[in-house]
Amino acid sequence: MKRVEIKLNIGAVAPLLDVIKQAADDLRQNLAIRATFPEEDSEFNETWTQELLAGQNSDVRELLGLFGKDFFADGAIAIDSHNGDSLLRGCSALRIQILTRWLHGIPADLLEDEDVPPESIADAVRVPFAAYAFLDQVQKIILEHLDPLAEEA
Amino acid sequence: MSAGEAKTKKTPHAAFAAQTARAELWRVVVLNDPVNRMSYVVMVLRRVFGLAEERARKHMLEVHETGRSVLWSGTREQAEAYVFALQQWHLTAVVQADGTAA
Repeated sequence: MKRVEIKLNIGAVAPLLDVIKQAADDLRQNLAIRATFPEEDSEFNETWTQELLAGQNSDVRELLGLFGKDFFADGAIAIDSHNGDSLLRGCSALRIQILTRWLHGIPADLLEDEDVPPESIADAVRVPFAAYAFLDQVQKIILEHLDPLAEEA
Repeated sequence: MSAGEAKTKKTPHAAFAAQTARAELWRVVVLNDPVNRMSYVVMVLRRVFGLAEERARKHMLEVHETGRSVLWSGTREQAEAYVFALQQWHLTAVVQADGTAA
């Protein structure tokens, strides 16, 4: 089983976790992306939504679980092929929510730029932007080092 | 969780609609989103549809450049299962009738 351990600066990550936890709270009852339903059947659509929501909440919980007591002791998070899929989806859901809540005024080219100078982001949204970028880097590490398609090959 | 688990509580109306729709082809269309990185989208398309890297990348670029890409067409039930799976990965996807009789 492949495993990646990432050592993080606790002082730098802690403020990002505040934003990530707020986004996670937003997502407890709401999907990150509004579902589109293939059928005009309210019961079917409710079941569809609740199943997506249950999966989303499980993925977000998995991600928040990385930043528990152990993280604040040594600053390390461990990702492996067992939690990789959940973390990828959890990062995606949280990034969408952070964009929706805090970053909707930022141009798309800045959002896609991995080397944005901090001064180009307004003070009020600098921490949410850093959280958005941080989760992107977590996804990037999983995609580059854990090979999420390996089990399917 | 399987992609089709949401489809467990069909009403008679929905069952009838599904029966009448069975004679048509349905498309799975993926729409652009401003958040997910390209390598993530490629991975999801490969995972959900079993595509080769090159083909998945082609679809991802089509989504990125034109705003949409038709990933699959076939029975309505399978199309719904694919859309559910894509939505689990937070990609925006819809089922559309393609107007062609099966």
